[in-house]
Amino acid sequence: MSRLLRISLAAIAVSAALPVYAQTVTITTAGGDYGNAIKEAMWAPAAKELGYDVREETQSDGLAALKMQVTSGAVTTDIIHLGSPEGAQAAAQSLLEPLDYKIIDPNSVPAGAKSDYCYPFDSYGTVMSWNTKTYGDNPPKTWAEFWDVAKFPGRRALRANAQDLIEIALLSDGLAPADVYPVLSTPEGLERAIKRLDAIKPNVSVWWTSGAQSAQLLKDGEADLVVTWNGRAQTVKTDGGAIDYTFKGSVIGTDCLAVPKGAPNKEAAMKLIAAMTQPARVAKLTDFIAYGPVNPAGYEGDLIPKDRLKTLATAPENAGTSVFSNADWWVKNGEAAQKAFDEMMAR
Amino acid sequence: MTVIADPALAADARRERRFFLSLSLPALFIVGLAAILPILWIIRQSFLTTGGEYTVGNYEKVLSSGLTWSALVTTLELSLGTLAICILLGTPLALALASARPKVANLLMAFVMLPLWTSILVRTYGWLVLLRRDGLINAALTGSGLTAEPLPLAYNFTGTLIGMVHYMLPLFLLPVYAAMRDIDANLIRASASMGATLGQAIRMVILPLSAGGIFSGSMMVFIYTIGFFITPAVLGGGKVNPLSIRIERTLSTFQDWGSASVLGILLLVLMALIGMMFLAARRLMARNNVDATDA
Repeated sequence: MSRLLRISLAAIAVSAALPVYAQTVTITTAGGDYGNAIKEAMWAPAAKELGYDVREETQSDGLAALKMQVTSGAVTTDIIHLGSPEGAQAAAQSLLEPLDYKIIDPNSVPAGAKSDYCYPFDSYGTVMSWNTKTYGDNPPKTWAEFWDVAKFPGRRALRANAQDLIEIALLSDGLAPADVYPVLSTPEGLERAIKRLDAIKPNVSVWWTSGAQSAQLLKDGEADLVVTWNGRAQTVKTDGGAIDYTFKGSVIGTDCLAVPKGAPNKEAAMKLIAAMTQPARVAKLTDFIAYGPVNPAGYEGDLIPKDRLKTLATAPENAGTSVFSNADWWVKNGEAAQKAFDEMMAR
Repeated sequence: MTVIADPALAADARRERRFFLSLSLPALFIVGLAAILPILWIIRQSFLTTGGEYTVGNYEKVLSSGLTWSALVTTLELSLGTLAICILLGTPLALALASARPKVANLLMAFVMLPLWTSILVRTYGWLVLLRRDGLINAALTGSGLTAEPLPLAYNFTGTLIGMVHYMLPLFLLPVYAAMRDIDANLIRASASMGATLGQAIRMVILPLSAGGIFSGSMMVFIYTIGFFITPAVLGGGKVNPLSIRIERTLSTFQDWGSASVLGILLLVLMALIGMMFLAARRLMARNNVDATDA
C-alpha cells in the first residue's frame, strides 16, 4: 500500500472516529424568537462549556411530538421544552424520565413550582395587549373592560385554546384572582367561563394558533385587542410596533425542560439541563425575550438590569393582580375544558 | 387485433409482458409501503385505547360528538363552494384557451400553470398579505372610496375559499381544457351551418362533449379539497374548522390518537364515497349519451 494511501486512510479513520468522542445531545424547542433566545442565552454557552455537540429541533407543539416519539419507540430528542401544564400531563402519561436531582440543583426551584419530571426555568404572563393607534391613552384596563365591546369597540384576537382563557374569562366576570381556581373546582365554574367566552366570540376576528401569529396580528394592526404572551408583546413593542400591554390580571405560567422516556443520551441531557439553567444563563435569557427566571437566584445581584425587571411577569410590582396557572387543575380538567371550548367555538 | 401465429414470437411477447410487469414492482412496493401499510396501521389505531387495549369506544366517541358533524358540514361547504366557483370560472377559461390560437393558448396556459409551481404555503401566506385588514386589496378599496371600511376578507370562510379556489383552479382547468381541445372543430362548424347560435353551440355541442373533462376536474377538486389543511388553518382564523383541522386538534390538544384515527378513516370513507358517486354519475351519463345517439 502506498504511503499516501495509508495516510489518507488514517485521516479518514480519525475523522470518522472524532465525532464519537464529542457527546451529542438533541434539544427540541418551540423555535422562532423564543427558541433562538433559549439557544443564545442558555444551551449554546452551556454546550460549549461541557464540550457537547448539541443539535436543535423545533416543534410548535412539544407534547404531541413527545408523545409521537415515545409511543413509537423512536425517541430522537434528549431534552424537550414544554409548558408546565403539558409537562405535568406528559408525566401523568409516563412520557418522561424523572429528573436527576443529584445532577440538577434541587434548591434552584421554589417549592411551589417544583416538579419531579419537568424542570421549570422561566415564567411568562398571558397578558392583554392593544393597538395604541386605536385606543391612544385610554386602553381597557381590566378584563371586564376587554369584554366591554360597547365602551371599547375593536377587533379581538384570542388563542384558539382553552388554556389561560378559562382563567381570564372568570377574571372578566369580576372574580378576584384568588377566587379563580376555587370557582373552577365547582361543577359550574367551567360553564361560567365558557359562557363568558361565548359572549365575546362575535367580536373575535382571529383565534390564533401560535405565539408568532399573535405577534404578527399585533404588528399588522389586524386586531386591536390581543390576548398574548408578554414576551411576544414586548418583542413587538421593542421592534417599534404601535402596541402596548399590561401585566394587570395576567395569568402567569412557567415553561420547563424535560427528558423524554427512553432518550438516547439521558445523563448528558441532565447535565445540559443543569448547566443551561445556571442563574446567569436564565437571567441572560431576558436579554432576548421578556421571560423571567423561576430560580430566585436569577434575580440576585445585577444579573438582570433594574429597568428590565418591570417587563417580567414575575417582577414584584407586577404581582398581586395575577393568577398563577395551576398545572394540577389542567391535568385533571384540561380535556373537559378543551372539549367545552371547542363546542363553544363550533356553535 | 393482430394474431401472433409464430410460437417464438408469442413467447417473446409473453417475456416482454413479464418484463414490463416486473418494472412496476418497485412502484407497487413503494405504494404498499407508503400508502397501504400506514392506512392499515391507522385502522388498527382506531380500535385501540390510550392504554393499547381493543375497543370500539373511539368510534362511539367521535360519531356521537357534535364537533365531528359540524366539522363534516364545514368540510363539505368548503369543497362544494370551491367546486362551484371552479366550474363557474374554469369552464369559460378552458373554452377561451381551447379556442385561442395555439401560440396564445400556450402562453396563457403558462400563466395558469405558474402558480402550480409555487409552494402552497407561500401562496397561502401571499393571500394573507393581499386579503388582511391593511392588505393590498383593502387598501385599494378604502383608498379609492369604494368601501368605507376594510372588508373582512381574511381569517374567515371567504378568505379560506379564495385560497382554495386559487389552488384548485389550474387542476380543474387541465382536464376540461384537454377535453375541449379534443372536440372536432368540424362538429362546431356543422352546428353553426345548421343555424345554431354561439350559445346553442356551447350548450348542445361543446358542453356535452367536454362533460367528461368537467367531471374529471370536479372529482379532482372535490377529492383534493376534502383533506385541505393549510389553507383553512392560515386563512380561516380559527373559525373555519373542517375535518382536517379537527384531526390535528385531536392529535395535538387532546393527544387522542384513537379518535384522530377514527376521524382519518371518516375522511377516507368520505373520499371513497364521493369518488364512487362521481364514477357512477359518469357511467350513467355515458349511457344516456349512447341512448341519445341510438335514438
